[in-house]
Amino acid sequence: MATFDTQKASEIHRELHSHLPSEPALRVKALESLMVEKGLTTSETINSWVEVYSEEIGPKRGAQVVARSWVDPEFKSRLLADAAEAIKEFGFEGDATGHLKAVENTDAVHNLVVCTLCSCYPFSILGIAPNWYKTAAYRSRAVRDPRGVLMEFGVSLGTDIQVQVWDSTAELRYLVIPQRPANTEELGEKELVKLVTRNSMIGTDRILGKSTEGES
Amino acid sequence: MDGVHDLGGKQGYGPIDVLEPVEPFHSEWEARAWALSKGFGGGAPDITIDWWRHVRETSIPADYLTRPYLDSWLETDMATLVDSKVCTIEELAAGKSATPPVGEAVSISVEDAIAANRASATRFDRPVEVAPKFAVGSRIVAHQNASTGHTRLPGYVRGRVGEIHAHHGAHLFPDAVSMGIEVAEHLYTVAFKAKDLWPESANSKDVVFLDLWESYLAPR
Repeated sequence: MATFDTQKASEIHRELHSHLPSEPALRVKALESLMVEKGLTTSETINSWVEVYSEEIGPKRGAQVVARSWVDPEFKSRLLADAAEAIKEFGFEGDATGHLKAVENTDAVHNLVVCTLCSCYPFSILGIAPNWYKTAAYRSRAVRDPRGVLMEFGVSLGTDIQVQVWDSTAELRYLVIPQRPANTEELGEKELVKLVTRNSMIGTDRILGKSTEGES
Repeated sequence: MDGVHDLGGKQGYGPIDVLEPVEPFHSEWEARAWALSKGFGGGAPDITIDWWRHVRETSIPADYLTRPYLDSWLETDMATLVDSKVCTIEELAAGKSATPPVGEAVSISVEDAIAANRASATRFDRPVEVAPKFAVGSRIVAHQNASTGHTRLPGYVRGRVGEIHAHHGAHLFPDAVSMGIEVAEHLYTVAFKAKDLWPESANSKDVVFLDLWESYLAPR
């Protein structure tokens, strides 16, 4: 039974710090062996999850949702009204999307998503979060110096564009809908999917379809 | 808790590694750590997500800031396992169990894992009798003081004035759920003007939105 005792939790961390090896790989290995021995999981199960998050669950899911919103105005309305429901049309609901919210970039607005208190992220549609999203550098600066952060990612915004930062402090999770690139009227939904970058759905990318260089 | 985790607006953490490779995992151990957490449920079976987050907040501050993220994440899993007496520190250090297995875990396939993810979408809203105190457009001020335990009221908006942007009904209240008490409270998205938060943003028209519970806020 969990103690729900702050002091106790803090003491456990200190003991773990002194008793466990410092090398992350060794710590992971020890925990995996122990959990398997205790009968709480299996190595095959862990292999399956590695494959799922390497292949199936990742930003290509979010890209499909965004591309659909570009070609289908009715879907876009549903997505903006209730993204948690709308992504069920793809079967993409899951980890951390129970209260998903879509926010749309326009000529006048740029959206940027952060979690200053931990690392909240809509895993089921964007996959595992990039490490930079979880660093002190990004979490501290996104709310205070969003334009400086965007500059580092190569996004330069004029003062005519308002930055709207979304700090995920509750169970709501945010998906940025980037703008459809210019001169893509000829492209179908499948081709449009390829233009959507992971970072554009977090808000650290804005103008899509320029080139894939430096895309992350 | 006024801990090291409350990073919004802190200065001096330097540039962002914008050239990080796009692959989801950058090493074998990262992949194993993430998948392991999925495999056994990410912590002791009797925890709440808010207790898990609070346990992470009680990490040694230097470790919190310097250890790789997924390593720190897994240490939080370990701390909840020890706290809930699922295993001991000695067992974790040795990577060997001192007791017989609690049962036989069933291996799941890739398809099973995809289905398990799909079934894991969780809602945190709950019906409540009490009417919301604030309406969209109401001006509020965030409380200056927050809980010494887990809270989702970041330091950088405490004492600051904002405006209700949206109301989401009542959601489970993390400050209580982190202590094992399940209560719900009205939740709002609150808009704070950058110029009301940061001295260097006096001429900015940018906005920061946070999702805040009713008891964090007072009418202004």
